[in-house]
Amino acid sequence: MNFNIDTVLADMLGAIKGTITNNWGEVKNVADQFLQRKKEKLELIAQLRISGDLTQEKFESRLQDEKLVLEAELNALAVISKAIVQKAANAAIDILVNAVKTAISSVI
Amino acid sequence: MRQKAIMQSRKVQFIIFALFGILMINSCRVSLIPNYDSAIADQIEQTSKQVDKFYLMMLEMTSRENDGRAFDKFTEKYVDIEVELNSLLIKNKVKPLNENCVRICEITLQLWEKYKNEHKTDNTLSDGLIKLNRLTFSDLFYAMLVAEKAKEIISNPPE
Repeated sequence: MNFNIDTVLADMLGAIKGTITNNWGEVKNVADQFLQRKKEKLELIAQLRISGDLTQEKFESRLQDEKLVLEAELNALAVISKAIVQKAANAAIDILVNAVKTAISSVI
Repeated sequence: MRQKAIMQSRKVQFIIFALFGILMINSCRVSLIPNYDSAIADQIEQTSKQVDKFYLMMLEMTSRENDGRAFDKFTEKYVDIEVELNSLLIKNKVKPLNENCVRICEITLQLWEKYKNEHKTDNTLSDGLIKLNRLTFSDLFYAMLVAEKAKEIISNPPE
């Protein structure tokens, strides 16, 4: 029977590491984009307070809105992270299933 | 002869257990998010363009003078866009495992209603506030699109 659990576990770990490494750049790029966009907007909010377009009350209200925008952005990052975890876990499971299938075909 | 029969029986038992195991593992695939929906991604892009055009037109083609930016001149557009945002929220809500995308839509709709009501109360909007609102929704639609497109990762072939 051609089934070595140590080799299968090592392959599963490799698949998990590979998937996470290959997709991690996406999380970083998106997080960088979010930060860049935030910088421009916070500058504008400050300018509008200085110019009087925003009263103190509205200025504070807009800063509260920025918390909501940040929450939305963190939710987007959560979806990317979940997608990477799902892909990595299923890649590992596929390796286990294929190893068992190979073992069965060698027995038959 | 008897030993051969026992060996044969064990072999069959192993195969049955292994097949059962494969079936169990296959049915236990990890699922944390729904599949990518290109129709939703298209609707996000369309609604994002609609909002962008709404604020750019307001900025470039109207002014605060002579009630040029009075709320009633924009009511219809506000309603059209709110309809699209509601539709996006409902489409996301009916999908299981989609709570992150639902929350992004809820926040977008919440801020859309808030800024609409501010415009209604003040019955005008400064250039600065138009620019700020435009940037805010640009950020929210970007987050919405990033979240939807991220679902493509699960259907991409493994590297």
